[in-house]
Amino acid sequence: MSNEFIALVVPALLLISAIFVLLFGLSSYYSKSRAYYITIITLGTSLLMAISTINKVHSTLILPDIFNSMIVYDTFSATFISLFLLGAFLTLAIAKSFIYTSEYFTFESFVLLLFSLFGMVTLSMANELLTAFIALEISSMSVYVLVGLNKNSLRASEAFFKYLLLGSFASSFYLLGMMLIFAQTKSTNLNDIAYFISTTDLNSQLLIIAGGLLIMITVLFKIAAVPFGAWVIDVYEGASLPITSYMAGVFKIAVFSFALRIFLLDYASFDDIYDPLILGGAVVTMFVGSLLAVVQTSVKKMLAASSVVHSGYILIAFASIGANTGNAAPAIIFYLFAYFISAIGAFGILSYITNSNEKVINYDDLDGLAKTHPLISGALTIFLLSLAGFPSTIGFIGKFYIFTSAIEAGYTIFAVFGAFSAFISIYYYFKVIVHMYFKRSIKKRVEYGYKISFIFILASALVVLWGGVGTSLLLNIPGIDALNELSKYAIKSLY
Amino acid sequence: MNILSLIIFLPIIVALFLFFIKENVKLVKIVYIIVTLAVLLLSLDLYINFNPDDSMQFIESHIWIAEYGINYHLGVDGVSLGIVMMNAIIMPLIAIGLYKQRDNGGYWINLLFVQGGVMGAVLSLDLMLFYLFWELMLLPIFFMLGLFGYARSNFIAMKFNLYTIFGSLMMLIAILYIAVVHKEQFGFYSFDLNELKKLSFSSMESLLVFGGFMLAFAIKIPIFPFHTWLSDTYRSAPTGIVIVMSALMAKLGVYAIWRFLFSLFNDTSHLLAPYFIGLGLFGLIYFGISAMSQNHLKRMFAFSSASHLSLIVVGFFIYDIYGLVGSSYLIVAHALSSAALFLMVGIMFERTRTYSIDELGGIARVAPKFALFFAFFALSIVGIPSTAGFVAELLIILGAFTYNIYIGFISAITILIAMLFMFKVISKVLYGELSAATANFKDLRFHELLALIPLALLILAMGIFPNFFIHKIKPTAKYCSTNLEGPCYVK
Repeated sequence: MSNEFIALVVPALLLISAIFVLLFGLSSYYSKSRAYYITIITLGTSLLMAISTINKVHSTLILPDIFNSMIVYDTFSATFISLFLLGAFLTLAIAKSFIYTSEYFTFESFVLLLFSLFGMVTLSMANELLTAFIALEISSMSVYVLVGLNKNSLRASEAFFKYLLLGSFASSFYLLGMMLIFAQTKSTNLNDIAYFISTTDLNSQLLIIAGGLLIMITVLFKIAAVPFGAWVIDVYEGASLPITSYMAGVFKIAVFSFALRIFLLDYASFDDIYDPLILGGAVVTMFVGSLLAVVQTSVKKMLAASSVVHSGYILIAFASIGANTGNAAPAIIFYLFAYFISAIGAFGILSYITNSNEKVINYDDLDGLAKTHPLISGALTIFLLSLAGFPSTIGFIGKFYIFTSAIEAGYTIFAVFGAFSAFISIYYYFKVIVHMYFKRSIKKRVEYGYKISFIFILASALVVLWGGVGTSLLLNIPGIDALNELSKYAIKSLY
Repeated sequence: MNILSLIIFLPIIVALFLFFIKENVKLVKIVYIIVTLAVLLLSLDLYINFNPDDSMQFIESHIWIAEYGINYHLGVDGVSLGIVMMNAIIMPLIAIGLYKQRDNGGYWINLLFVQGGVMGAVLSLDLMLFYLFWELMLLPIFFMLGLFGYARSNFIAMKFNLYTIFGSLMMLIAILYIAVVHKEQFGFYSFDLNELKKLSFSSMESLLVFGGFMLAFAIKIPIFPFHTWLSDTYRSAPTGIVIVMSALMAKLGVYAIWRFLFSLFNDTSHLLAPYFIGLGLFGLIYFGISAMSQNHLKRMFAFSSASHLSLIVVGFFIYDIYGLVGSSYLIVAHALSSAALFLMVGIMFERTRTYSIDELGGIARVAPKFALFFAFFALSIVGIPSTAGFVAELLIILGAFTYNIYIGFISAITILIAMLFMFKVISKVLYGELSAATANFKDLRFHELLALIPLALLILAMGIFPNFFIHKIKPTAKYCSTNLEGPCYVK
């Protein structure tokens, strides 16, 4: 299969199955479980296709005559597409029992999920601002609706409305920024903009810089960085668990993929203008996020708040890109993967043990889990340790890369800030462990979910561990080095 | 597989498998004893094959993360050999001594993890590898504090965890900083101690990086202002963890100062040595006085242990062959004595259900064997002649005298403080009137004797024939103290 073929088939497949489920979902033959399996199979096949193209550097403009060089399929987009598909796949696979037992998960939710994935896939392939905007809006719109799936819950409706209003408002900044950039460069194509920047002097680039700032606002909003992320706790709380997991694990990465592409291609040369802003944002994001996470009483909200903190770490690495050491950008991709697999695992376990009852999981609800379900609590412990950046997990290696790149770029003090917020995160992540292992509970053992979901949880936990200690010397399975190599390929394919 | 890797990973891997038979406590205990004895045999083999004329040996080096120059690099020299040996000796004896107590599988599984972690941290010669084990060691201790601790155990486990991780994170930044400096100077990342010792730092840089490392080590030991976690944690911790903390973990902190700080920042260490000697001596007195005023037996021994660790710190910072040999000897000697003493406190608590010194008394009348061993170990901590502690303290004081006559004088006197509180304990606990708690005190059982006798014999042997043990440390020490210009070891 040629790369071009894959790049066309993957989004097409997502779109076709979405439309298929949409058309036939109301017939009695295509029940919810059939829609579920159709979605899973679609995700699985397209994942296999996308993943086959991540291990070498390549870059192709897809049908440049038809699409006018707006769509590019390179290792970068292949890597991110694989991540999205894997994330959606894992979310669905782990949350199987949640989806089956929840009334409000109808066939439309799979349609929306597939549409949003289609948007993300296009977003990561977009080589042009307008395409990216449309792709972003496709996925955002679908996610807005997914947040409000539970029509009977006031909280979900509130979350939906809040997210919709604020999100649409934030998107308008993007449009304005794009307009400014177009006014100066007469193009929205990222390569043309890069060419314009490299051939003119700073005086004739002012609108590009201003436009970039406006686009940054949208990006910061979508990744829930402080001060634009005020929506995050309410929305993550209001959405049902699999959707929260999907937003935190997958949607955020999609936004990062676009931010990374535009930053690397066009804006890396403005680093002395942007870096102070990004770093300031990173510090505020990390500490406000930590503060939010510390005060929460529900595990779900704590994980939501801590996802803000993780955005802060990634922003530090963004600022370090300008120093041109070549390590910061791969570090971001590695960290995104590390965060993604741990967050999906942690949220996944919550959805695995909640089933349908609408109750938000508090810390107290986890009391004594280790006694009744040692394997589940063991897996959750691994995910939490990884999120906290404890050595021997993939999260530690991710933080290690990010801090190293920050120090190398001369931002040692920000690495220290990062270490401080990692220190605070120890508190709230270990609090869950304390509740699982040290508190007694009188609850009786209940059987949770499907065995097959649990196998996926365990597999992710193993990946987390192997990503922390793995080396190809042992057992000849590719380890940390291989992952690092893949993220390097992804970055290389951009240039 | 190299013998060092085997020593590290045998307990860890077995512990992983034991999770699945956690319910069968008896089996877990037996497996624990077998595994720790196997580690002991391996360490004995290591000890016998260790060439006394050489410093770093049994080196094993593989590339772990190539991109960042992180290696799986292990090796053992005279000083680390001592710690490996005492770790291997103490761990099986805990299970033998406490055989009748602690009927919970998790307890022993966690101890196995600790053993592997400590071994790994002692033997690693790569900073990242060291950091990995250093942090990993913390996790089982955290779990044991929370699961098996007394009184407010959740709070104390969390406090201990946060306290030590804070230090570790600052050390992590320092480690990363060094690696980046290495890249700036040599063009590639490295975390390998051999590579890093070639680096040169500006004085400000090295002071800050030194501080980052020192914070982590000072918290673990603990050195004077960083001791506030100490008394709570020791009071609440179960016996196994108290032994691990006082005998292994704290020693690891001092060892790490010597291994990493002295070889990476030789000049800075020299520059700061007077301050740390001062801090150490102050800690020696401060912890000694704190120990005197305690009424809780475990807290008292906690402070006593901290006071001796301050002496070990002083010994290392004296930068002299006597100080170094004395300190590494005291590491082992004090570990053996304090492990035995905490074991006996655990045994005592099982019978009397109290740790309060006021509620105890007259044990010598009803339990002569217990009294004999208790007095012996208490005195061996003080360092009476013919015990290992005596030799070690003598060497450190000799070193202190060559460093500066006043320092020598002060450290010689401060050791007497230990006498004061140990005699207080002996007289109050073993003699006097029998109390309600001690009236039905049972003397030592067979398995308890089995655990204590080897420790007592070893302490005596180390006290009477010190040369037999010191000749393994000497080449390492000689190299370090004569070669003041360069870092502490070569290979």
